[in-house]
Amino acid sequence: MMRTYGFQPCREFHIVVLGTGGVGKSCLTAQFVHNEWIESYDPTIEDSYRTQVAVDGRQVILEILDTAGTEQFVAMRDLYMKAGQGFLLVFSITSQASLDELATLREEIIRIKDDENIPIVMVGNKADLLDQRAVDRAKAFTISQQWNAPYYEASARTRTNVDEVFIDLCRQMLRRDDSGQLDDDDGARNGSGYGYGQGKQEDGHGPMKKKRRRKRKGDHKCIIM
Amino acid sequence: MSVMLQTPSRASTGSTTSFHPLSRQNTMSSYEGSRSTRQSKRYSMSALYMSMSANDSDLIIEDELARAQKVLRDLKTKISSQSKKNFVLEKDVRYLDSRIALLIQNRMALEEQNEVASHLEDATDIQEGAFPNDDKTQKYGNLLFLLQSEPRHIAHLCRLVTMAEIDSLLQTVMFTIYGNQYESREEHLLLTMFQSVLTYQFDNTPEYSSLLRANTPVSRMMTTYTRRGPGQSFLKSVLADRINSLIELKDLDLEINPLKVYERMIEEAEAKDPESPEAMLPKGITQEEAAENPKVQEIINPRLTMLTEIANGFLETIIDGLEETPYGIRWICKQIRSLTKRKYPDANDQIICTLIGSFFFLRFINPAIVTPKSYMLIDGTPADKPRKTLTYVAKMLQNLANKPSYAKEPYMAKLQPFIHANKDKVNRFMLELCEVQDFYETLEMDNYVALSKKDLQLDITLNEIYAMHGLLEKHAGELYKDENSHLAIIMSELGTAPPQVPRKENRVINLPLFSRWETAIDDLTAALDITQEEVFFMEAKSIFVQILRTIPANSSVARRPLRLERIADAAATSKNDAVMVRKGIRAMELLSQLQELKVVDKSDQFSLLRDEVEQELQHLGSLKEVVMSETIKLEEVYKTIRDHNAYLVSQLDTYKSYLHNVRSQSEGKTRKQQKQQVLGPYKFTHQQLEKEGVIQKSNVPDNRRANIYFNFTSPLPGTFVISLHYKGRNRGLLELDLKLDDLLEMQKDNQDELDLEYVQFNVPKVLALLNKRFARKKGW
Ligand SMILES: Nc1nc2c(ncn2[C@@H]2O[C@H](COP(=O)(O)OP(=O)(O)OP(=O)(O)O)[C@@H](O)[C@H]2O)c(=O)[nH]1
Ligand SMILES: [Mg+2]
Repeated sequence: MMRTYGFQPCREFHIVVLGTGGVGKSCLTAQFVHNEWIESYDPTIEDSYRTQVAVDGRQVILEILDTAGTEQFVAMRDLYMKAGQGFLLVFSITSQASLDELATLREEIIRIKDDENIPIVMVGNKADLLDQRAVDRAKAFTISQQWNAPYYEASARTRTNVDEVFIDLCRQMLRRDDSGQLDDDDGARNGSGYGYGQGKQEDGHGPMKKKRRRKRKGDHKCIIM
Repeated sequence: MSVMLQTPSRASTGSTTSFHPLSRQNTMSSYEGSRSTRQSKRYSMSALYMSMSANDSDLIIEDELARAQKVLRDLKTKISSQSKKNFVLEKDVRYLDSRIALLIQNRMALEEQNEVASHLEDATDIQEGAFPNDDKTQKYGNLLFLLQSEPRHIAHLCRLVTMAEIDSLLQTVMFTIYGNQYESREEHLLLTMFQSVLTYQFDNTPEYSSLLRANTPVSRMMTTYTRRGPGQSFLKSVLADRINSLIELKDLDLEINPLKVYERMIEEAEAKDPESPEAMLPKGITQEEAAENPKVQEIINPRLTMLTEIANGFLETIIDGLEETPYGIRWICKQIRSLTKRKYPDANDQIICTLIGSFFFLRFINPAIVTPKSYMLIDGTPADKPRKTLTYVAKMLQNLANKPSYAKEPYMAKLQPFIHANKDKVNRFMLELCEVQDFYETLEMDNYVALSKKDLQLDITLNEIYAMHGLLEKHAGELYKDENSHLAIIMSELGTAPPQVPRKENRVINLPLFSRWETAIDDLTAALDITQEEVFFMEAKSIFVQILRTIPANSSVARRPLRLERIADAAATSKNDAVMVRKGIRAMELLSQLQELKVVDKSDQFSLLRDEVEQELQHLGSLKEVVMSETIKLEEVYKTIRDHNAYLVSQLDTYKSYLHNVRSQSEGKTRKQQKQQVLGPYKFTHQQLEKEGVIQKSNVPDNRRANIYFNFTSPLPGTFVISLHYKGRNRGLLELDLKLDDLLEMQKDNQDELDLEYVQFNVPKVLALLNKRFARKKGW
């Protein structure tokens, strides 16, 4: 896939894909970036991708970090989260436990980014496995609303909603970027989740707490006498 | 005190497992190659003899081997209990890590502050205590015995609990109920429990592609299991040196992602000369384009070679470590293999190896390689470049186990030669990992032995007991449907589970374990189908070995070939040693009984027995060496664990002080400042601080260092002033105001350097120093 990229210095965003082992993070990412379906047994330790996409007519470079869902690698999370600007939280609709784990991940992101409005998209993957569904769409949707994040049901296998989740995340990041605030933003969140027809997320003015961030960096003064 | 009685063949095969047969009951003997059940029972008998005599203080042997064994045993106990403490502390620190971060960001409500504070107050050692009455002690003793000796209950429970409950359950299981990490019986019971949970998972996973991928009770068990002593020391011995030497090369850049290489190349060129052709290269090209750039290739090619060399080095030590791999880890690999074969009869070796790899490499080796700090393999956090190299190494190793799809990261295909060169070797290695013996027979034996012992006991906290009680109760419907089962009976007698007690009131209980239902020791010979001759033979052998270990090695009776009658006689007539006399007489009796039963023959100097006794002694001789060398290794492990403990404790102390500080400040607003006295100044020389690692870099010329010193003062709790002075000058050269918040925040962000112009301090070390020096009565 050869692309010749634009002349403009376009924006670059760091996306981190998180979720427990085997939910299909790598498959989603590979579908999005390379248009390929990967079948093999290949748990991830850490993979990085770079791609360029057009979002609403604007070119955006994405650096996507596909992380390990294997819990033994938790200690790496801190670093990812620090580097990330937008997060895909992926679970599999065939496993309730995989959804349960997202709550901790989200908390951790918010703590590390110190920002409750950090761009997040929640993805229920493996939507093609309808007969194995273990998570109600409505239930997942409710959680996503509490988190004030759009929810999509996707399938890496059938390539359903794959582009949509990434593009939604890009929109969120672009909007923040446009308003020039990396720290404080309110209006940035406006879900456009049309996942499987129903996932429309209400306007993004949920229970947002304004964060109180004190500025103290470099406050300790060093006087040379 | 016990003597190790082992068959001579053990000496040569003892290395089948790193789990040396040195525990109280020598049950590991069954790991050797093929041997009949009957034989193995006979060997177990000798263990049983020794173990029974262990209860008899008359028979204490005090030779060098015995002393060495005692040292080793004590060490193992210490490691077991210390690793439990660390496990608990780590949980506390992890919890506080996140809380303190919020606090620093001023985002914690007062109630929550109080909660954190209460969490901290008693994060210290838990005191000892006892149940208020004997009845409770007995019932819980019986319950815990049942849980310990019949692992299926806990295995079942592991499948029922939520992921939220599993951590504390596993803590109790791995570090308390089976917490004696070097004791074969407990290890075996724990592994039996593993097996049951693994089997369940295999039976309930429809496709192999999703096996062992998700985070489940099993994977959590694996994590916790690898955190026990044997796993830790294995990782340390196999990985620590390699990782440390890599990390020292802070600037070694082995990035092979062509885009990143390309960008870095441009960046560097721009910094050097913005007009140079490289600096003018277009940005925003594709990975393919970057990969085709000759300059990029020139940079990447030698890196591929280096990475391959490094990964080969790691692989080599891992493969060489086969014999050192903890028995339990290998046994789990073996279970994975046999479950795979059972569930997917068509599975080829490749599939089997993939699954083994998803345990051995994915969940054991590789996490330690990419995050060595959390496995206590290194002290600091690795710098970015070595970190990336380690990640590449782990990915390469993982690719050996899986079928890598280069569709994800096309540039990784450049490392294919490494995969091709090693694939078969690694598969062979993984299959060899599975070559360990099962332990079922010995386990049965061990359980008999356990029953025969009077001192089976458990150190367990009240809250652990209550939590276990509560979980069992919660899942009563599943766990003990049959109301006549032993578990049901005890549970109904125990009644409702008490709630958790506040941490302050939590106590460690020394709980004697026993079973009111089983008293197997009487009919042991019958149960084990062992003849009277064999029993006599074992006892005779054991007595002769004991006698010979007691008498000086250079005495004439100890000369080879041994003359058993003379030895018995010498013992029976020894002066001032009633125990020896008794042993001598018993030895004589046994000789004549065995003679009558025609097991041995006086005319060939009882050669059958004599040879075994001689071989045993020889084996014990070499056993001493084994014991010594294992002691040395474990001392190292113990030291690491203790260092880590000290680190965790100091971390907790820091948090404690900080929290106290925040709270007293907010109190101060209402109650007016209380007596706040200035602490310090404390003086430190450049040399002192350098030695303690507080100074991690110094720009002060060598010949001036002796004249530099520092003053540390704390004018207010949580506030510090560090000043730098030159001897003989009145005024300081430099003064730095520091708030504890800032230091904590830097630490949280992994920012290790605190710049003082002339020197660079190490943040965690500064924290530790302040902590030590300025501990005010409550807080700083
Ligand atoms: N039916 C179906 N299977 C999927 C889908 N996405 C992934 N899978 C399968 O799920 C398995 C795991 O997918 P991965 O993408 O490797 O999972 P992961 O989340 O990256 O896992 P880790 O890297 O271990 O964290 C693979 O065998 C895929 O074939 C999907 O949308 N539908
Ligand atoms: Mg993956």
